[in-house]
Amino acid sequence: MKPITVTLIVNGEPRTITTEPNKTLLYALRDDLGLYGAKDACGGEGECGACTVILDGEPVNSCLVLAGQADGCHVETIEGLAAGGQLHPLQRAFVETGAVQCGFCTPGAILAAKALLDRAPDPTDDQIREALSGNLCRCTGYTKMIAAVRRAAEEMSHVR
Amino acid sequence: MSADTFTVGKTEIRKDAWDKVTGAAAYVDDVALPGMAVGMVVRSPHHHARIARIDARAARDVPGVLAVITAADVPGSKTFGPLAQDRPALAVDEVRHLGEPVAIVVAESKTAARRGVKAVAVEYEPLPAVFDPTAALEPGAPQVHPGGNVVTRYDVAGGDVEAGFAQADIVLEHVFEVPRIAPGYMEPEASTAEWGADGTLTVWVSSQKPFEDRHQIASVLGLPQDAVRVRSAVIGGAFGGKEDSGLAILAALAAWAVKGTVRLVNNRHESFLAHPKRHPARLFYKLGAKRDGTLVALQATVHMDTGAYSSYGPAVGGLLTEMVPGAYRIPHVRVETLVVYTNSPFSGAMRGFGSPQAHFATESLIDMLAGELGMDPLELRRKNILRPGDRFFTGVPLDRTASSLPVILEHVAAARARLAAIPAPAGRVAGVGFALAVQSMGLGYRVPDDSTNRLEWAPDGTIRVYVGAPDLGQGLATAAEQIAAEALGIPYSDVRALAVDTALSPNGGVTCASRMTYVVGNSVMMAARQLIETLLAYAADKLSVPRAALAYRRGAVVLPSGETIPVAEFASRAADEEVPLRAEATFSFPYPEATTPKHLPVGMPHGMFVFGGQVARVEVDRDLGTVEVTNLVAIHDVGQVINRAGVEGQIEGGVATGIGYALYESVRLKDNGQWVDGFTEYLLPTAEDVPARIESVIVEVPEASGPYGVKGVGEITLVPTAPAITNAVCDATGVRVTAIPIVPEDVARAADPA
Repeated sequence: MKPITVTLIVNGEPRTITTEPNKTLLYALRDDLGLYGAKDACGGEGECGACTVILDGEPVNSCLVLAGQADGCHVETIEGLAAGGQLHPLQRAFVETGAVQCGFCTPGAILAAKALLDRAPDPTDDQIREALSGNLCRCTGYTKMIAAVRRAAEEMSHVR
Repeated sequence: MSADTFTVGKTEIRKDAWDKVTGAAAYVDDVALPGMAVGMVVRSPHHHARIARIDARAARDVPGVLAVITAADVPGSKTFGPLAQDRPALAVDEVRHLGEPVAIVVAESKTAARRGVKAVAVEYEPLPAVFDPTAALEPGAPQVHPGGNVVTRYDVAGGDVEAGFAQADIVLEHVFEVPRIAPGYMEPEASTAEWGADGTLTVWVSSQKPFEDRHQIASVLGLPQDAVRVRSAVIGGAFGGKEDSGLAILAALAAWAVKGTVRLVNNRHESFLAHPKRHPARLFYKLGAKRDGTLVALQATVHMDTGAYSSYGPAVGGLLTEMVPGAYRIPHVRVETLVVYTNSPFSGAMRGFGSPQAHFATESLIDMLAGELGMDPLELRRKNILRPGDRFFTGVPLDRTASSLPVILEHVAAARARLAAIPAPAGRVAGVGFALAVQSMGLGYRVPDDSTNRLEWAPDGTIRVYVGAPDLGQGLATAAEQIAAEALGIPYSDVRALAVDTALSPNGGVTCASRMTYVVGNSVMMAARQLIETLLAYAADKLSVPRAALAYRRGAVVLPSGETIPVAEFASRAADEEVPLRAEATFSFPYPEATTPKHLPVGMPHGMFVFGGQVARVEVDRDLGTVEVTNLVAIHDVGQVINRAGVEGQIEGGVATGIGYALYESVRLKDNGQWVDGFTEYLLPTAEDVPARIESVIVEVPEASGPYGVKGVGEITLVPTAPAITNAVCDATGVRVTAIPIVPEDVARAADPA
């Protein structure tokens, strides 16, 4: 397989990599860019959401996107969420609400929630549940994750 | 308790949460070591077969392949296992389940490793296979191992069950079935091993038992224990399933073979097929009662499928046996449990450890009895629950700890009334059900059940806790930090637990069995008392005053004048002198001589218990039979709370796992001969499948022997969930489900036979 060159705008910064044409965005982030926040929990089948990133504003399973398909696109990963060293309200809410246990699903869940709040700043519980429904978690039973998203939404509405 | 405590009882924030929300937390697969190679496993495509030949020549010729390892290359013991050494590290002449490791390919890249795996030629001669424990007990059944298919048989009685049934006015007999459950931790198994120039191995693991891993790795590699160092990375969940050394052994073999560094990471399918699951079981129950509802006799025969290898199956069978009568006083009980080999993927430890299986049957049958007697199932329970002074059928007496059960039952009654008042929406029928549960803590009598942990004063006066057992994500480190801070009277922020490293940490035991806060907490409190003594002896020496002249208060040494000197003054000096101020203590789980019966098999009985009850409201779609759990109230006695958010997190996560047990999950054999082995077909509950808020009611009955009154909470939280849900489905539809997970079509058909 002939390697391909791909430019991704990762957390606002253009990053050019030369990689295999069958490399997924998930493994381009992990293996080629050293960004390990996106996880593989289902074997790259789009079933668990642990690899969720925001691609041009939409939450996607990065295991289902080829790196080549994302050429020229904006990719938001968990590593870019804390702007200027300040945690995003969602990150802070996950920490303070006790929504983090083993943490393996946490980056994906936070990014799925961020994509929700980007388009629906004042979501209902059902909207939150739907937004998180692609992100499997075995530890928390989701109660505190849902509460964390609600709390972050409230905090962000005060800031606005 | 929080009014007069420093930190215990408060919801402190776990210290690893910050790294986990920024993506900085490093799990095994997130650390790339220099020169690291990739290991991939060649796995059996057969359920049962003889291996005629393995030809690895073509694989070794694949560019980038560094080594191919088979059983013939294993330098030490060919087999391993936590209880019986019945499992080969790599298959020896025979494979006994689909997905069993046959060879390891080590390569410079994933692509080369994949090609190498495809190029290993294995010639198999298929053998007949058996997948059902009852069928495996039949004469003439395929033999999974040479010694026969029965791994362990328990036959334990209390009272005289025949005499008990003779007193019964009503006898019910039913058969229950529970499925094989994947632990479902989000992080698949992963291990990196590094061969050092000095002939030692360092192995990074995602494991509940690094010290046991060290032992197993050394045995298979033929190395002395001190040549193997096992280090815990951040762990992405475990739930019992990571009480398994399998992948760490393969990583160690790979590193040894290439004299380098190799990482192995299972994909989800490999995790399903070749890592422990919760045992499926068939439970034959017979329950006798008086007309007034008094329970008089219970007899059970249980067939447990442990799969191709025993893993912790014998111990799970023992605890299942003990848990059969549930939270009830039944004078005459007899339980026969058979742990059976089959060619299924093996089962072992998983959250609940036999208790979820037993309770599904017991709590279903209690409701069925109430129906037969025309009694309210709550009244039936009220009449028969265990109370202080009662004994389990094993002979273990219950003290004050059982006083929580009647309290829990009254919370159940209140929640039930509240949820029953919620009307059903159009097209659906609603119902409310509940169940009680008991869960043991600890490993059982005559099983080593110790935990050693160490405290050390850092030069800056903060405390390092060398917890000797890993935090799996549940928050053990936080609990240990809070208890250490409380015992030393210093702020939680000044205490930090370190990850397990067998070269540096004391042996804290296996993280399991709802016992960690209790045993680690007790050990940390003992160590704290010793540490204060060590400090004061050191300070007395430095200050040239008698030891008795000094006191300790909140991170400072108090002089006779009342003046205080911060500990840092002494700790930094001691560190300079290379005599750091530290103390280590071992706590052994108590099995009191006077109250521990001696007539039972090894591992029985357990001596300490937690109790709980859960109430579920369900809505059932009349046409489809689908079940939605709309509300769930979980009431649990945890002794005393150390960290409320942590306890609630255990409850909420346990309930969600219990919902999966009732409604969705089963690792079953499909018509095409393949197992359900991925999240496409194995449905973990999502945020839309559980109530938006699982309600926790925490009952605190302090345990006298516990650190700050603590008992445990890890496992029981999923035990009553499934029967509470099936009891609710029965309340809504009249359909009694005796096999889980619920099949919606069956519910729809049974509810409306037309």
